[in-house]
Amino acid sequence: MTNSNKTKEYKFSDIIAVPAIKERFEKVRKYFFMRESTYDMSNRCNIRCEGCYYFKGEKQFARENLSTADWKQLMEAEKERGITFVVLAGAEPSYVPELCKTCYDTIPLGCIASNGLMMLPREIAYRIHISVWGNDSTSLEIRKAKDMLIRQMDNYQDDPRAIWVYTFTPVNIDQAREVTETLAANNQQITFNMFSAPVGYSGHLRHTPETLAETRTIMTELLTEFPETVIFSPYNIVSHTHEKGLHDLFSCSYPRMNPSTDIGLGRSFRQYRTDLQWDRAASCCVPDTDCDDCRHYAAGSAVVTARMYRHATNPLHFSAWLDYVDTYLAVWVKGYEKGDNLCSELLEPPEADQ
Amino acid sequence: MTTDASQTITRIAEIIINELKLEDVTPESFEPDLDLVDEVGIDSMDLATIALVLRDEYGIRIDEDDYPKLTTVRIIAEYIDTKLAEKE
Repeated sequence: MTNSNKTKEYKFSDIIAVPAIKERFEKVRKYFFMRESTYDMSNRCNIRCEGCYYFKGEKQFARENLSTADWKQLMEAEKERGITFVVLAGAEPSYVPELCKTCYDTIPLGCIASNGLMMLPREIAYRIHISVWGNDSTSLEIRKAKDMLIRQMDNYQDDPRAIWVYTFTPVNIDQAREVTETLAANNQQITFNMFSAPVGYSGHLRHTPETLAETRTIMTELLTEFPETVIFSPYNIVSHTHEKGLHDLFSCSYPRMNPSTDIGLGRSFRQYRTDLQWDRAASCCVPDTDCDDCRHYAAGSAVVTARMYRHATNPLHFSAWLDYVDTYLAVWVKGYEKGDNLCSELLEPPEADQ
Repeated sequence: MTTDASQTITRIAEIIINELKLEDVTPESFEPDLDLVDEVGIDSMDLATIALVLRDEYGIRIDEDDYPKLTTVRIIAEYIDTKLAEKE
């Protein structure tokens, strides 16, 4: 592909006439039915990480509802209103495996965000995102936990549910290589996240233009050197290390930033607290994030994906968008196999009015 | 309803049926005032795909902010007519 196709006007039918693009589009569109909501499962956690979103705002004070009957009723109601994908998070879901199992029994497609220090039973066959914030020395400093990576790998060795999510902060950029090498040597997978400041946070973990650029460089190197281990694409790199945040680039479609209730996330997404209540004004994938600084992998998975139309202007941008969606599905859906990236360029995202 | 408007409605219904692989309905029998979100079950990604096919078919751009307004085949047909009139 050459740069000339960025300026020529293409019909959508011309773009998907390219065999590799058509094949990938048909592959990912099978998952367009996915409608997500997120659920805080427990207000307990066995570690305390600097910059943790859960322990910001009001949601941390919600009482825990530990009734499997209530959770079953909630899941059945969620299924009834069209939710097909659940994200179980905050504070640490592995404290309540029986509630996770209840969710799985009703809505079998989903993901659990965990620190990986307590293994979730294998019968809960969701994807499991294991958070990693640097090498074990940095984890001890930031998360106050010893030997995190070693313990996480012990718990999830040869477990196809597991993928590590490396959150880049300004202080751990150079450690991503060490962590990726370790996971590669153990046949594990990793994807990348960006620290995004919680509301009111002004600490040393907030990214700067310089650290965003450094992160972009190391992400590119690791994606090139560890293609079997790193689940990411060049367009993921651009979208998440851009000086503009995701909302500025793509206009966030989560209820917190989107007043429309007509269709899409603005209509169906809810973020439930541990007391099974939800508040539309606070609903997004990572509540209490400063929206101007949001570069979360979870946010991008929905927000970039939702902007298919603006990427369907030429084969290159559409390929980049397909790479992003293919990555998102591989990260979030257990058993989904990511294909080779179609676009190797670091493309600037298109403008909304293109 | 004019013949042109009727043809537009039928063609839009045909596109929706094809893209969503709907069964037990034909372009002629598709109720143009059915709510596509509430009654047909269309979501945002379906609508984006349909918008791209409509862009090809009619040579018009559908603004992202306009998606939520396109809730029935009849409304889509009126939207297309307006866009085409603006082009002339």
